[in-house]
Amino acid sequence: MNVILETVLRLAGWLLIAPLLPGIINKVKAWVAGRRGPPVLQLYYDLARLWRKGVVLSTLASPGFIAGPAIAWVAVLCAAQLLPLGPAGAALSFRGDVLLLIYLLATARFCTAWAALETGSAFEGMGTAREVSYAVLAEAAMITAVLSLSVHTGSVTLVTMLAPAAGAGAVLLGAGLFVVLLAENCRVPFDDPNTHLELTMIHEVMVLDHSGPPFAAILHGASMKLLLFALLLTEAVLPVGELSPVAAAGALAGGVLAVTVGVGLVESLLARFAFRRVPLLLTMAFLLCLFALLVAWKGGEA
Amino acid sequence: MLLNPAALIVLSGLSLALSLVFARWLSRMWLAGVVAGCVFGALAAAVVLSTGMSVESRGGFSLGGEADHLHLDAVSALFLALLSVVGAAGAIYSRGYWTDAQHPRSARAGRFWWSVLLLSLEYVVIAANGLHFLIAWELFTLSAYFLVTLDRQRAEVRSAGWLYLGASHVGTLCLFAYFSCLAAATGSWDLGPALNRPELAPLFWFALIGFGLKSGMFPLHIWLPSAHANAPSHVSAILSGVTIKMGIYGLVRFTGWYPVPSQAGWVVAALGVASAVLGVAFALGQHDLKRLLAYHSVENIGIILIGFGFALIGIQEGNAAWGQLALAGGLLHVWNHGLFKSLLFLGAGSVLHATRTREMSRLGGLWRSMPWTAALFGLGAAAISGLPPLNGFVSEFLVYLGLFDATISHTTASWASLPATVLLGVTGALALACFVKVCGVVFLGAPRSEAALHAHEAGPAMRGPMLLLAGCCVAIGLAPAAFWPAVARAADAWRPGLVPPAAPAPLFTLGLCHLVLALAALLIAGYLARRAHRYGFARTETWSCGYTAPDARMQYTAGSFASTITEWFDWILRPTRHKEIPEAVLPAHAHFEQHTPETVLDHVVAPAGTLVMHVSTAARRLQHGRVQSYLAYIVAGLALLAALVLIGVG
Repeated sequence: MNVILETVLRLAGWLLIAPLLPGIINKVKAWVAGRRGPPVLQLYYDLARLWRKGVVLSTLASPGFIAGPAIAWVAVLCAAQLLPLGPAGAALSFRGDVLLLIYLLATARFCTAWAALETGSAFEGMGTAREVSYAVLAEAAMITAVLSLSVHTGSVTLVTMLAPAAGAGAVLLGAGLFVVLLAENCRVPFDDPNTHLELTMIHEVMVLDHSGPPFAAILHGASMKLLLFALLLTEAVLPVGELSPVAAAGALAGGVLAVTVGVGLVESLLARFAFRRVPLLLTMAFLLCLFALLVAWKGGEA
Repeated sequence: MLLNPAALIVLSGLSLALSLVFARWLSRMWLAGVVAGCVFGALAAAVVLSTGMSVESRGGFSLGGEADHLHLDAVSALFLALLSVVGAAGAIYSRGYWTDAQHPRSARAGRFWWSVLLLSLEYVVIAANGLHFLIAWELFTLSAYFLVTLDRQRAEVRSAGWLYLGASHVGTLCLFAYFSCLAAATGSWDLGPALNRPELAPLFWFALIGFGLKSGMFPLHIWLPSAHANAPSHVSAILSGVTIKMGIYGLVRFTGWYPVPSQAGWVVAALGVASAVLGVAFALGQHDLKRLLAYHSVENIGIILIGFGFALIGIQEGNAAWGQLALAGGLLHVWNHGLFKSLLFLGAGSVLHATRTREMSRLGGLWRSMPWTAALFGLGAAAISGLPPLNGFVSEFLVYLGLFDATISHTTASWASLPATVLLGVTGALALACFVKVCGVVFLGAPRSEAALHAHEAGPAMRGPMLLLAGCCVAIGLAPAAFWPAVARAADAWRPGLVPPAAPAPLFTLGLCHLVLALAALLIAGYLARRAHRYGFARTETWSCGYTAPDARMQYTAGSFASTITEWFDWILRPTRHKEIPEAVLPAHAHFEQHTPETVLDHVVAPAGTLVMHVSTAARRLQHGRVQSYLAYIVAGLALLAALVLIGVG
């Protein structure tokens, strides 16, 4: 009984809290620009509105056009359940769960990309090509980050890996993971979530032809992915697993808020990079994680 | 009696031999014989894998002056199981794909050589006599050659066949050297565990080249893309799914029986990493569907070799348990790759059958006319990209676990496992990019040609085998714990008693996650589709940002999709580009074309071959038919010998 209750609570938490993050980012951006901006709960309103709408499908689209966003959403939600929440632990934890988490995000990418190519539009093709290409570098950085945590703690289980602070390499790892977060969640300077009908986008251009409930699933899945990365970053850097439950909850909330505000500030102060420079920035993220790995390696030897 | 593996193997061999007789006229009987042979083979493998027993048989008959020596243990059984599944699937598929009506010249020969191939492969995995192993190996190479060149009216098929035959024989030559040196050192052609003879270790390098050529590891893969692309698709499926795995079998088998040099693991792991990353990079540059799949075989052989290489390194590091884990991952990947790559090749065959083209830029939108093929190919694509909840992820997970444990162990092995882990991750992401490209360009969007528009679904004889293979992929993905004992037994049988059994990987929990994921995905997708139906659902033209006349030619092509990544790999892909940029105010003509040749073949093997030809031509000038000069050679030769003798005496 307890297990079921806990699972339901976890699911509800992820589902309900995630859409808050884009709202906070937008609020920060509005605040920096001196505007009032949309309400913090705007994404909830958007989701509710989309959920009640009909669907417009391209004549070329197969059933995969609707199944793709659904599977991607489920994959992100499952990945989220593997992430431990401080002392509360994860819904399910086993040796190597971190690999499943990374590959579940890849499943989500595959399904989103599949659905995008359904329409046969050059725009979607362009966005998909960019998404899967940059993901290669982001994946390298991500695996290196995981390796550094793994070397630091001597474990391949997320609960153990994320419990202590990342040690001397924490700053490097945090910076690297933050860049990966920006890239994977399609934020500035990799992508501009505000522009539409620009040939410069990645994620937005992939979902151009989606509408109604499937589109709601995509938006909600994207916000969960953002929350997942923010939590991962917080727990990698802070010793959340070693705190008391209250302090851990505070640290998690504070960390996620800090990351979200950070994303908002980056978005307000930076312009989107030219596409030629995107690989360079991701390579930098990879190098940051690599240095964190080397620091963890030397720390382990001492 | 029924569950005696030796009897089952004999039955399997008899059924296959019987099918040889029927191959010419009675195609139904042939199919029955092949399928029966495969079922018996699979049963024998299942018995061995589920009990961990090993069967040894000697002296039943004699061939080439050598009494036979057969050995069936978990390692052989693993490969035998794969051979049986793919062999049967391909045979059934050929009934719809390479029919007597469509290919009157070659269908009979195709059936005959298929039986020979299965029979010789079965013998290869159970032979424990060096001479018999070589005979079976040569027979399987030849039958594969005849299968590749079934359609030998086409020049590119003939040249692909020659390349395959030539490369295979370079490998066979190395194996001749390997087995004769073994026989010379041990005094008999008999093969068996001899780990206490360290002087045999250097022979490993012969085995690595010989078996490596067959397995298609980089840079010995030169024959593989053209042979797999030009063979009939059911042949490509068994070539890619099973025969290249025989190279892996050879390496695993004989490194388990004989000692290896201390650098072996490092070299194999490095070759594995190179094969994995470069295989997928070359695949991204292809626009021929089957050639692309062939390069993915190089990639997956790389993943298997990474697992196997770390098993060898693990032995150097004091028989570490992580080596066993990596080996188990590699061996499971042998199965997995055999299953999903055969599925993908059969899917590609259906596309080729329906549209008569392998050129991806002439396909598109096939899901409408071929929904089954599109769905099954998509499943195979997700599996080969290593995505949960399918089987590809399970084996990659095991390899990753082995690599992570090697890293954590903080030994010298960590220096190999760190880069290998990162590059394995990169390989996964690249494979995903490549298969998104393939599925999108071939099956989704709008048809790019008339042929693609008028495609038709594959018949039941072609769909059935694809369903079988897809079912196996899903089964291993959803219930990995059920398959773990078999793989663990094979990993333990590799060097019995010398390495600790691998710690059971958390595959039960992983399977649970996969099951939950699959059920939830089905449920949510169904719910979303129902909701979309209920709230109305309009079909209109793709929006394309308001463009009024969208056209199939505006879609992203295979080349444009992969261009970002192929640019990163320009240094090795060396693509040839023909560009005519539109100029002036009213440009009349524009043209862009890009091809990715086989770099190793064109830039290494071909120049080396040319050099040999030049040297030989120069040497041929000595032979011109003038008797006077020949007499002069003889005089000069005699003078030289006389001088030698005189100096020797002095």
